[in-house]
Amino acid sequence: MRRARLLFGGLAFAGVLFLHRAPDPPPAPESLPQLGTVLGEFPAGPMKSVADAACLNCHSADMVRQQRLNDKQWLAEVDKMVGWGAVVPEDQKAALVAYLTEHFGPDNEGFQPVVAQPPPR
Amino acid sequence: MSAERPETTSGLRVWSRRRFLSAAAIVAVGASVPGSVVPKRLLQRNGYPIDAETPLDLLTTFLTPNDLFFVRHHWNPVFPDAKTWSLTVDGEVGKPLSLSLADLRKLPKASATCVLQCAGNGRSLHRPIVPGVQWGAGAVGNATWTGVRVRDLLERAGVRPSAKHLHTFGADKPPLKVPPFHRSLEMEKVLADGIVAYEMNGAPLPALHGGPARLVVPGWAGDHWMKWLERISPQPEPQKGFYMDVGYRYPKTPGEPGVKFKPEEMEPVRDLFVKSNITRAPERAAVGQRVAIEGFAFSGAPEIAKVEVSDDGGEHWQEAQLGKDRAPWSWRLWSFAYTPKANGTVTLHARATDGRGAVQPKQAVWNQSGYLYNAWPSATLEIGG
Repeated sequence: MRRARLLFGGLAFAGVLFLHRAPDPPPAPESLPQLGTVLGEFPAGPMKSVADAACLNCHSADMVRQQRLNDKQWLAEVDKMVGWGAVVPEDQKAALVAYLTEHFGPDNEGFQPVVAQPPPR
Repeated sequence: MSAERPETTSGLRVWSRRRFLSAAAIVAVGASVPGSVVPKRLLQRNGYPIDAETPLDLLTTFLTPNDLFFVRHHWNPVFPDAKTWSLTVDGEVGKPLSLSLADLRKLPKASATCVLQCAGNGRSLHRPIVPGVQWGAGAVGNATWTGVRVRDLLERAGVRPSAKHLHTFGADKPPLKVPPFHRSLEMEKVLADGIVAYEMNGAPLPALHGGPARLVVPGWAGDHWMKWLERISPQPEPQKGFYMDVGYRYPKTPGEPGVKFKPEEMEPVRDLFVKSNITRAPERAAVGQRVAIEGFAFSGAPEIAKVEVSDDGGEHWQEAQLGKDRAPWSWRLWSFAYTPKANGTVTLHARATDGRGAVQPKQAVWNQSGYLYNAWPSATLEIGG
C-alpha cells in the first residue's frame, strides 16, 4: 500500500511537471527588434572602412564582432575570405588583422546576441 | 522612416543602441521573475545572413513551435516561389523527374518527428576557441516534418543500383567567389529515413526554414538537411567541393584540443552525438525544498535510454523522469525532482545515455570547426535556509 502511494505520488508529481509545462509563451514585447535587424557596427578606427568594404557585402558586422580569435586565426580568416572574393588591399591586410585581433581577440567579451522578435507564424 | 530606424546600405533596419537596450531590459525583467513565463524571443547572432538560436528556457515543449525554431542561413537566400518551384530528380535514374509542389503533395505522405540540430550548435563552448557562428546551446529544435519519402521519389524515378550517394542542391546561391553549398549523403541512410518535407509542425514549411521543401535526415546533423531543395541526384561517388572536402568534417579519432586535423584525418559530420540540456532550474532553493530541474535529450540513435543528474560533479548519478512523448530520433523531455541537502552553492550536471549505450561525456571532443559539442550541461543553485 505504501509502495502504491509512493508510486502514485511520484506519478502525480511527474504529471504536474509534464502537464503544466507546455503553455504557449506570451508574445515578445513589440519593442524588440525584428529578426534580421542589424544593430552592431565595426568599431571606429582607421580600419573601419576597410572592414566595411571587405566584409559587409556578404554578412553583417556581428559575424565578426562575436569572434574571439588570435592574430594567427584572424590572418587565416582574412586569407580565406579574400580567396572567397573579399577585397582587402594587400598593403592593408596586416593592419586589418591587427584591428580585428585588437577588438575581437580571445578576450572579446563585448558581443551580446540581439534579442529579437520571432518571425510571424 | 523614423530617426530611430535608419536604413543601412543593405536595406536592413538599424535601431538605436538606447532603444535596443530598453527593449532587452523588458525581456530581462520578464525572465527574472520567479514563476513567470518568459516571452517569445530569439537570440540573433548574425543580422544577415540570419543566424538566430532559441533561448534554452523556451525549449520546454516536445514540439518546438515554428516561430521559435532556430534559424541558420549560410548567405542571404532568395526564397523560391512555391508557385513556380520544382524539384528535379536526375542522375543514376531511368526516368528523371520534375515535380511541382502540387505534384509532391499528391504522393504518399510521410512524417517524422525528430530533432534538427545545427552541426555547430554549442560551438562557443569549445576550448580552445574556434571561428564560426558562436552558437550557445539553442541551435536545436524538435518538430514534425511531413512530405514524401526519398525512397518513394527515387523508386518512381527508377534509381539504379550504381547509385551510392545522394547529391543534394538548394536554391540559395553564394555571393562573390564563395563555394556553393553542395552536399551528398549515403544512399543507405537517405533511403531508409530521408523525407523531402514541405510541412513543419502541420504548417507549410516556412521559407526561413527551407520552404517550399527541404531534406529531412532524422538523427543526422543539420548540414544534411538541405534547405530550399531544388534537385536531388543519386550518383556513384560522393559530392566534391569545399563543403564536403574541407567543411563539415569531424575527426575520425579524437586528438589534442587545439591541434588541427588535416581533412583526410576527418570524415563528414553524420549522426548526432548523445546530448542532454537543462532548460529550467531555479537559481535559489532551500534545504529540504524539492525543486524541478527540466531539460531535453536526444541522440543520433533513435532512442534515449535514460537521463541522469549529479550534484557532486559526476561521482554519483540519479535517474531523471523521461517525458511520455517520443518518436525515433525525437528528443525526450526530462524532469528531475531535486532536494537540496545543505546550504551553499551546488552545481548540478546532467548526462544522457542513448539506446546504443553511448553516454554523454564530461568533455566534448575538440575539433577545429567546433562541431557536435555535447559535454554535460550544468545549472548552479544557491541553497539557503
